[in-house]
Amino acid sequence: MPCERKPMRYGHSEGHTDVTFDDAGKFIVTCGSDGDVRIWESLDDDDPRSINVGEKAYSLALKKRKLVTAGSNNTVQIHTFPEGDPDGILTRFTTHATHVAFNHSGSRVAAGSSDFMVKVVEVADSSQQKTLRGHDAPVLSVTFDPKDEFLASASCDGSVVIWKIDEQTKVTSWPVLQKSNDVSTAKSLCRLGWQPKTAKLLAVPVGLKVHLYERDSWEHVSTLSDDMMTQPINVVAWSPCGQLLAAGSVGGFLTVWNAESKLCVERQKHEKGYTVCGLAWHPSGRQLAYTDTQGSLGLLDDLPTASSATKTPKVAANDYDDLFDEDDDRAMDEGLSDTHSPAKRPVAGGDDDDDDDLMPATGRVKNRSSFLDDENSLDTVSLALGQGKYGDDDDAGSTVAPPTGPSLPLRPAYEGPLPTLPQKPFQPGSTPAHLTHRFMTWNSVGVVRGYNDDQDNAVDVEFHDTAVHHAMHLTNALGHTLADLSQEAVLLACPATDELASKLQCLHFSSWDANKEWIVDLPAGEDVRALVLGQGWAAAATSARTLRLFTVGGVQKEIFSLPGHVVSMAAHGEQLLVVYHRGTGFDGDQALGVQLLQLGRRKRQVIHGEPLPLSCKAHLAWLGFTAEGTPCYVDSEGVVRMLNRSLGNTWTPVCNTRETCKGKSDHFWVVAVHENPQQLRCIPCKGSRYPPTLPRPAVAILPFKLPLCQTTTEKGQMEEQYWRSTLLQNHYSFLSSSGYEIDDEGQNQNQKEQQELLMKMFALSCKLEREFRCMELAELMTQSVVTLAVRYASRSRRMNLAQRLNELAMEKANQLQEEQEQEEEEVQEEEHHTPRSRRPAPLGGPSGKQSKGPVLKPLAPKPKTKVSLIQRPWTGFQLWLEENRKSILADSPDLQETDVIKAAMGSFRSLSAEDRLSWTERAKGQSGEAADLKKRKRVEEAGEGDESRVKADENIAKKKKSLDTTAKLSAFAFNKN
Amino acid sequence: MDPTEVEFLAEKEIVKIIPNFSLDKIYLIGGDLGPFNPGLPVQVPVWLALNLKQRQKCRILPPQWMDVDKLEEVREMERKEDSFTPPPSPYYMELTKLLLNHASDNIPKADEIRTLVKDIWDTRIAKLRLSADSFISQQEAHAKLDNLTLMEINTTRSFLLGSLNCMFKLRSNMQPGTSTGKGPDY
Repeated sequence: MPCERKPMRYGHSEGHTDVTFDDAGKFIVTCGSDGDVRIWESLDDDDPRSINVGEKAYSLALKKRKLVTAGSNNTVQIHTFPEGDPDGILTRFTTHATHVAFNHSGSRVAAGSSDFMVKVVEVADSSQQKTLRGHDAPVLSVTFDPKDEFLASASCDGSVVIWKIDEQTKVTSWPVLQKSNDVSTAKSLCRLGWQPKTAKLLAVPVGLKVHLYERDSWEHVSTLSDDMMTQPINVVAWSPCGQLLAAGSVGGFLTVWNAESKLCVERQKHEKGYTVCGLAWHPSGRQLAYTDTQGSLGLLDDLPTASSATKTPKVAANDYDDLFDEDDDRAMDEGLSDTHSPAKRPVAGGDDDDDDDLMPATGRVKNRSSFLDDENSLDTVSLALGQGKYGDDDDAGSTVAPPTGPSLPLRPAYEGPLPTLPQKPFQPGSTPAHLTHRFMTWNSVGVVRGYNDDQDNAVDVEFHDTAVHHAMHLTNALGHTLADLSQEAVLLACPATDELASKLQCLHFSSWDANKEWIVDLPAGEDVRALVLGQGWAAAATSARTLRLFTVGGVQKEIFSLPGHVVSMAAHGEQLLVVYHRGTGFDGDQALGVQLLQLGRRKRQVIHGEPLPLSCKAHLAWLGFTAEGTPCYVDSEGVVRMLNRSLGNTWTPVCNTRETCKGKSDHFWVVAVHENPQQLRCIPCKGSRYPPTLPRPAVAILPFKLPLCQTTTEKGQMEEQYWRSTLLQNHYSFLSSSGYEIDDEGQNQNQKEQQELLMKMFALSCKLEREFRCMELAELMTQSVVTLAVRYASRSRRMNLAQRLNELAMEKANQLQEEQEQEEEEVQEEEHHTPRSRRPAPLGGPSGKQSKGPVLKPLAPKPKTKVSLIQRPWTGFQLWLEENRKSILADSPDLQETDVIKAAMGSFRSLSAEDRLSWTERAKGQSGEAADLKKRKRVEEAGEGDESRVKADENIAKKKKSLDTTAKLSAFAFNKN
Repeated sequence: MDPTEVEFLAEKEIVKIIPNFSLDKIYLIGGDLGPFNPGLPVQVPVWLALNLKQRQKCRILPPQWMDVDKLEEVREMERKEDSFTPPPSPYYMELTKLLLNHASDNIPKADEIRTLVKDIWDTRIAKLRLSADSFISQQEAHAKLDNLTLMEINTTRSFLLGSLNCMFKLRSNMQPGTSTGKGPDY
C-alpha cells in the first residue's frame, strides 16, 4: 500500500482540533483549542494564516467561501474564506456548540450543542432556524444527508438519531453508543459520516467498529472492522468518491476501508500514537489530513484511489465538477496576483492558454517557462509539494502541476519522476520577503532589517561591533528587497517596477571621501537576484543569468554569464561562491551547481560548476564562508557541509543541526561558521525555520560533529575528533598558500592534538589486539610519533608490530630526507642557474611554491625545515656529489654545471636507501657544531630504533624461553587434573 | 545588613550579555571573563553587565526566569501555598530592580515583569509578617522558615529582633518574679 505518511507538525496548542480542506483542495484548514483557525497552503507551509475566532474553537466547516466555526462563546460564527473577515453570528446556544456541519450544497448548517439541542440554520438567512429536540445529553456530532432530507446526530446519551429535517421529528434512533455525561468524558467523539453522492449508507463509529446503516430502511447492513484497531474509533470520513471510508481512533490508528468490499485498503499509525480527532479528505481523494488532541497536523499522501481502473461515471462527473471549481479559483487567484504585479499580466494570460492546449507530457518545457518568471511563484521557498501536486498553484508555477488527482480522466497519465519547482534565489541569512518585518541579512558583520508596514518602509543597519560603524536607519524609498553587509559597505538592491529599472545601491561608509553612496541602474528587463560584498568589490547576479562585478567604489568590472539562474552567492576576501540551478530537479530534489572563483590579482576558477550535494528532497538554506574562508552551506534538512580542500574539493557534512533540535518543527537558523574555535553560530527558532525580528533573537553555538559511524564508542569518538581536527585545519594551508598570515601556534597545537589522538587510537587498537589496524594508524602519524609507537609496541611485547613499525619509521625518515633533498636541490638550482638558463616564469612559480612545500604539508615538522633553509648544513648529497663529480664529468665532459647536478641527482637517487642514509650521516658528522639539534635527535631516534630492534630480538628470544617454561607448566597442570 | 549590601551581593550573579565590541579574555580575581565577540552572547556578572550597558557597549539578555509566563506561574504557586515556595532566583528582587532600572529596553514586557515581581514580593512579605505574628502570639521559642531570600530576611530582621527584645523587656517588667525563667529564649 504505497501511501506516504508525512511527518506531523505543530498546528495548535494542546487540545481538541478539527481539520478540513477547502472546496478546491488548495488549503488545509484547521482549528484548535487556542481559538485560532489556521489556513495552510500545504503541510510544509511555515507561515500559515491565522484567524482568531474566539477563546477556543471546537469544530469548523467550510464550504463556498464561508467558514463556520463552533467556539467557546456559545455561538456559531461565520467568517469569509480565505480573507477571514467576520461575517456575523449564525446561531447561539446556551452552552458551547460541539460540532458544525454543512449540507452538500452549502446552503444550510447543522450545529449540535452541549445543551442537548441540534439546530439547522439557513446560511443565507440565519433567522430561519429549525431546532431538533430529543437528545438527553450533549450532542457529539451531526451530519447531513447529502440529499438534504435527513440529519443524523450522535449524543452522549448513547443514541444515534435520524431526524427528518423539515418536520423536525425523529425518524429512528439506535442506542448503540456508550453513555457519558459530557463530550469531554465521552469515550469517542463519534463523528458520523453519510456516504456522499448516493447517500445510501450512514457510517457510525461504534467502539472498535464502524456500523453501516442503510438509508430509508434504517437497518444495520454491515460492519467494518480491523484487527489492528485496539481503541475506540473517534472519527470517520467518506472519501469524496463515496467508496472509501477512513477512520481515526483514540490510539492513533488510521484505517481506510473500501465500503463495498469491506476490505481494509490502507492502514497507518499516528507517529506518536495520539488520539486522532479530526479527519478530512482532499477533494481529489488522494490525500487525507488528520489532527490529534495534541494540536498537531498530519497528512497521508498518495492514497490509493477507489479502484481507479473501474471508476464509475458518477465519479468522473464529480471530477469534472471539481475541475471547474478549481478553474474558477484560479481565475480569482490570478486576479489577485495580478494586482500585486501588474507587469506579469500578459505572462499569466499566456500561461493560461498553455494550460488549455498543452499536454502534460511537455511539462518540462512549461516548467522552464515557469522558472523564468518565478518571482510570481510561491511566496516562500517551501516547496508546496504535497499540496501543489493536486491543488493548482496560484500562477505560472501551476503549470508544473502533475497530471494526477481530479484531472486524471482528461489527460494521459505520466508516471515518471515529477519535476521539482526550482527554489527561488535568496540572500544568505535573510527571512522571506513577504514578511513586513524581516531580516534582509544577518551575517558576521551585522544585521540589516527591513520594515515594510503601513507607517514605514525603512531599512535598519546595525553592526555587531559598533567600532565598525554606528547603526543606520535608511528610508527605503526604492523598495529594496536584497541586502548585504560587509566591514566596508552596505549593498542594497530592488527589483524593477513598471517605470523604474532594477537598481543597485551601495553605501560605502568606509570611503574616505565625502561621497559615500552610489547607485547603478541595471539594463531594462534585468533584475538583481542575488548580491554579495567581498573585500573591495561587490557582485550582483541578475535575472539575465549574468554576474556583474563592481569595485566597492562603483567602478564596473568584469561581467560574465552563469550557466543557470542564480540561487545564492557568498563572498570572503577575494573568493566568490555562486550557486545556481544546473537543471531541473526531480522528485523533490534540486539540481544545483556551484562555482568558486578566486578574484583579486590571481584570478581563477577553483570549482568549475560541479553539482552541489544536498540532502534528499532538500533545498539550499544558507550559503557562506567560515570566518577562515572555507566555503560552507546548509540545506533545509539542517545539514551543514564544508569544502574539503585536501580531498579534491569535496563537501564534507560537519554538523546536522536538526539532531540538536528539541521539537520536530524547531530549526536552527545558521548565521556564521567558525573553524577556530569550532563554532556554528545559529539562532534557535521554535516551531519555525527562521526567527522573528522581535524580540531580538540571541545567537547560540553548536559544536561540529562529523557523522561517522558508532560515535558512542571510544573508537568512533576519537576517529571523529581526529578527522574533524584534520578537516578544520585545512584552512591553514589554504590561508598560507593565498598569502595570509597564519597562526602558527594554533596550527602546531592542532597537529599536536591530532598526533595525540592517533597515539590514543593506536593504544586502543593495541589493547584490542588489532595490530593491522595499529599499522594503518601509524601510517597517519608523523615520524617522531611513530618512534613513540614503536616504543609502546615493544613495551607491550608486540614484537611483530614493533618491527613493522620500525620499518615504517625508517621509511618515513627517508621520505623526510628526500623532501629535504629535493628542496635543497631546488635551492641549489636557483643558486647555480644564471638568469639565461632559468626556466620560464610560469614553471618557476610552482617551484617557488614548492620550496614552501613543507609548510603546506602538515605532517612534516616545520621548525626542522625552517632551520635547514636558514643554516643549510652540508648534506649527504652534496658530499656524495663532491666525491663523484669527477667520475660524472669523465662520463660526459661537456656538461654544464646545472646538468652535472641533475645527472648527479639521478644517480644519487638510484643508490639504495641505506647508502643514502650513510651519506647523510657522514654529512652530519662533517657539519659538526652547526648541525641542527633536531636532526641529531632524529639520528638518535633512528639509533634508538636500532636498539629497540636489537632489544626486540632479545625479547623474542626471551619470549621463546618463557613460552617453553609455561608450556611445560601448563602440561604439568593438565596432567595433574 | 543594609539593603544596599544585599544588592551588592546580588551583583555577583551571572547574566548573559551580547557585547557590541571585541575584547580578549580579561583576567580578574573573581575569575576570567570573556572573550567578548560582537554579537555573541557571553556570561558576565551583573555589575559588569550594568556597567557595559550604561556605556552602551552591550545588550543584556534577561535571565530565564524573568519571563511573564514563568513569573505568573510562580505567583500562582506562591498564592496557593501557605509556606514559602522556592523563589525564581535567590536575588530575584534585587536583580529585577537592577535590570529593569538600567536595561528595561532589553527586557520584553518590562512593566508586566515589574508588577509580577512586586506581587510575588508582596505575597511573600505578607506571609512573613503572618508567620512572625503567629510566632509572637503563640510565644514560640523557635520557628523554621525555608526558601527565604537574603533580602526578605533583612527587611524584617532588625524590626523583629528589636520588637522581640522590647517585648521581652516589657514582659519581664510585668512579671518581675518569674521573668528570667519563663521568658522566651531568644
